[in-house]
Amino acid sequence: MTDVSEKLLIVEDLSTTFATAGGPLPAVANISFDLGRNETIGIVGESGSGKTVLSRTIMGLQPRTNVSVTGSVLLDGNEMVGASEDFKRRLWGTEVAMVFQDPMTSLNPVMRIGKQIDEALRVRLGMSKQDAKARAIELLELVGIPSPVQRYKAYPGQLSGGMRQRVVIAIALACSPKLLMADEPTTGLDVTIQAQILNLLDELKERLHMSVVLVTHDLGVVATRTSRIVVMYAGRIVEIGATRDVFANHRMPYTRALLESSPKVSNASHTRLITIPGRPPNLLKLTQGCSFAPRCSYATDKCHQERPELQAADQPGHSFACWNPLPTTRGDSAT
Amino acid sequence: MLRYVIRRILMLIGIVFIISVGSFFLIHLLPGNITAVIEGPGASPENQAKLFKLLGLNRPIYEQYFVWIGNILHGNLGTSFISQTPVVTTIGNALPIDLEIMFLSQILAFAVAIPMAMRSARKPDGVIDRFFSAGSFTMLSVPSFIVIILLVLFVSIKLGIPHTGPSSYVSLRGDWIGNLESMALPAITLAVGSFVVYFRVLRSDLIATLQEEFITMARSKGLSQRRIMWRHAFRPSSVALLGAAGVNIGGLLAGGFVVQYLLNIPGLGYTLIAAINTDDYLLVQGIVLVVSVGVVLINFFFDFIINIVDPRISRE
Amino acid sequence: MLELEEMALVERPEKKKPLGPLFWLCVGWIALNIFGAIFANVLPLQNPLYQNYSAINVGPSLHHIFGTDDIGRDIFSRIVYGSRVSIAVGFGSMVIGFGIGAPLGMLAAYRRGRFDTILTTFMYILLAFPAIIATIAVLSFWTPRSVFKIILVIGLASVPLVYRVIRTATLSVATKDYVIAAKVQGAKDRRILMKELLPNIAPIGISFLLIGIATVIALEGTLAFLGLSVTTPTPSWGNMINESRTVLQQNPWLAIFPSLALCLFLLSLNFIGDRLRSHFDVTEVKL
Repeated sequence: MTDVSEKLLIVEDLSTTFATAGGPLPAVANISFDLGRNETIGIVGESGSGKTVLSRTIMGLQPRTNVSVTGSVLLDGNEMVGASEDFKRRLWGTEVAMVFQDPMTSLNPVMRIGKQIDEALRVRLGMSKQDAKARAIELLELVGIPSPVQRYKAYPGQLSGGMRQRVVIAIALACSPKLLMADEPTTGLDVTIQAQILNLLDELKERLHMSVVLVTHDLGVVATRTSRIVVMYAGRIVEIGATRDVFANHRMPYTRALLESSPKVSNASHTRLITIPGRPPNLLKLTQGCSFAPRCSYATDKCHQERPELQAADQPGHSFACWNPLPTTRGDSAT
Repeated sequence: MLRYVIRRILMLIGIVFIISVGSFFLIHLLPGNITAVIEGPGASPENQAKLFKLLGLNRPIYEQYFVWIGNILHGNLGTSFISQTPVVTTIGNALPIDLEIMFLSQILAFAVAIPMAMRSARKPDGVIDRFFSAGSFTMLSVPSFIVIILLVLFVSIKLGIPHTGPSSYVSLRGDWIGNLESMALPAITLAVGSFVVYFRVLRSDLIATLQEEFITMARSKGLSQRRIMWRHAFRPSSVALLGAAGVNIGGLLAGGFVVQYLLNIPGLGYTLIAAINTDDYLLVQGIVLVVSVGVVLINFFFDFIINIVDPRISRE
Repeated sequence: MLELEEMALVERPEKKKPLGPLFWLCVGWIALNIFGAIFANVLPLQNPLYQNYSAINVGPSLHHIFGTDDIGRDIFSRIVYGSRVSIAVGFGSMVIGFGIGAPLGMLAAYRRGRFDTILTTFMYILLAFPAIIATIAVLSFWTPRSVFKIILVIGLASVPLVYRVIRTATLSVATKDYVIAAKVQGAKDRRILMKELLPNIAPIGISFLLIGIATVIALEGTLAFLGLSVTTPTPSWGNMINESRTVLQQNPWLAIFPSLALCLFLLSLNFIGDRLRSHFDVTEVKL
């Protein structure tokens, strides 16, 4: 490990538990990873694996009631867990910002988009009205919105989904954050738009020297754009490592299942995708053992009784949590 | 937007037409000889001729409607056979009082309901929210005629505040402080009724709005709680509030009638009840028509404001 | 908000808000009032019309537990008898309102098409008309006034509102998969309406019915207060409060007791309606 101060983000033993009517719900449990400056990390998992909650907890954006967070999130030296709303508010926008999942719901429908962008500039950076407007138009241009001067006055309802997501990105970039949390930034969009948005994020990351946490359920999305990948299942990390290693030498059967279930261009047409049988576990009724065991074809009695901890794989920085890991010799699933 | 406005205006014309037909047929509900009943003790061949000219009573019924509506479109609602005053004049004198009561009461109601709903919605099911909600729920079951009776009992009778009791109305033209005093109880009574509705509507809509993703987005920009509540949550929710205010006009009217009746304030409500009790049917008909059209116009106006506040509505 | 995606996968624990003792207290109170209204003749009550000039404006005492009014009539007995008008008007006009509005609303939502469009436009036009003005207008011309006429007028005036609520409720059910499935399987319309739709909209209907009754009773009270309901000396809660106007100073009890009776009755109805609604997990639609 390199010097701590070089890391922009250090997450340690982070857990988020919701208090629900059915009892405590551990949405995120014992997550640890870090992120260097100008690095992109991917967080991958099915719906319900806790990745959205994780990204919001890192930012400190979890709801304010009925939730308990333990562990530590050091963001550029600032401890986010347990910090007051006032403290976090000073970091939001300038240190860390978020691109939300669904551009249909994340923009205020009754506020002009220009206003939604320059609001942050004026409140957070104390810009004058004219300066903020000029900067907002610059930002709209930066994220590739045609005729930004006219669009400045548009309401979200007048824009397409792709355009709205660009606006969301512009808002996130407004105060030049050091870390950008992108929570499934393309899920709500058409396939053709998805690549555009992802390439835009990539390009902006290079230009603005940001670090990015890219949350997605689609391994194809992270394959070429991240240096490392975190695979989550039922709120826990089940495999983590350099992108190359995870793709080529994954050890956890769940990772393989995820890979096999995502379509690849290299596949012959009509290749049947392999689905993962069953569904993610009910987090209120977790068993002692590995959460994936009920759906895993390699599961043994031990898997059902004892939870595997993360253990190091052959490559540096690559670890997995599995009692019956896949053999290392295969490399066939690499894209 | 234009299509929407045209559709609304067509609807408005339809509603006003139905109201006019309804008001027209009212007099045919009268038992017995209509002319005799309308003219009351003042029946004379001369008055009979006046009434026939106004209502076209000797013609077939659909022609009667056109005679009647033609007169109204020329601003002629007839002259009361009881008070010998043109109906339009009587209404013109009474209307400003109703408008003043409504205006004052709405300002009061919004001034109390909005901050309370904001406070409640911030922590739903918290102590404050429970207290406010239970209080507003209880008040929902207290009709305005009881509110005004209780207010008169305590404020005018127990505390003896001047100009607040029955028959102590002070006109705005004379002494405006006295006028405000005499308007206080009516305004408060109407405000109580409106407040309950506004608080409950705004609270539940705010709670829903605060769950929206764009609120989390606003939070993630590092905006203050205050700014999020007012700029991001209140504005979308104010659509529901304005909608409630439009619908509430009916209740407001009834409340206005009640307070004017109890306190002898010579507004439209008081005039209407007096006209009913003196069998002044032309005046009743005129007031019914004016008030109904007024309500519809106010509703139309609210629709319009809602459109400006929420650009989504006219686009769908 | 945030955990939506996560929570959707967690099976929702079956929990219904319990009705609670306050609910049953309100039900009991309503039942007691209805019982009193029905059996007022048989109950050992004083004659509500008997004027005892030796006991005028007396406060509550053992003999007259709520006191007497300005012409010596027993307030308690007048309140019990007075509930008859309120209850009859409240229930009676809602029978008319639901009798016409509910079937039309269900049918319109189920059939859709031109029938629905025309009927709904018509009802929405009527809705724009302030019901209170319409009621007052008709009642002031259609003399002499009687309980029957009041029930009829308020009942008809409530039809558009009932129609809207029931139509909206039915629409949300009629588009559900199981109803469409039943249609596809060729079930008879009548069967679908009665077996699939009715049970599903009944909870909304019932809670709206109760709140509607409360609203109508308050409306009748307002009319009576304005002297536009049943004629005196027949007691009703509203006209008792009306009569108290002139003697507020001397005899506040005459205003306070009927007001209390009316408010408690309304509060109970509203509370039951509201609790039922949250019990059946109906979101707070614009009732």
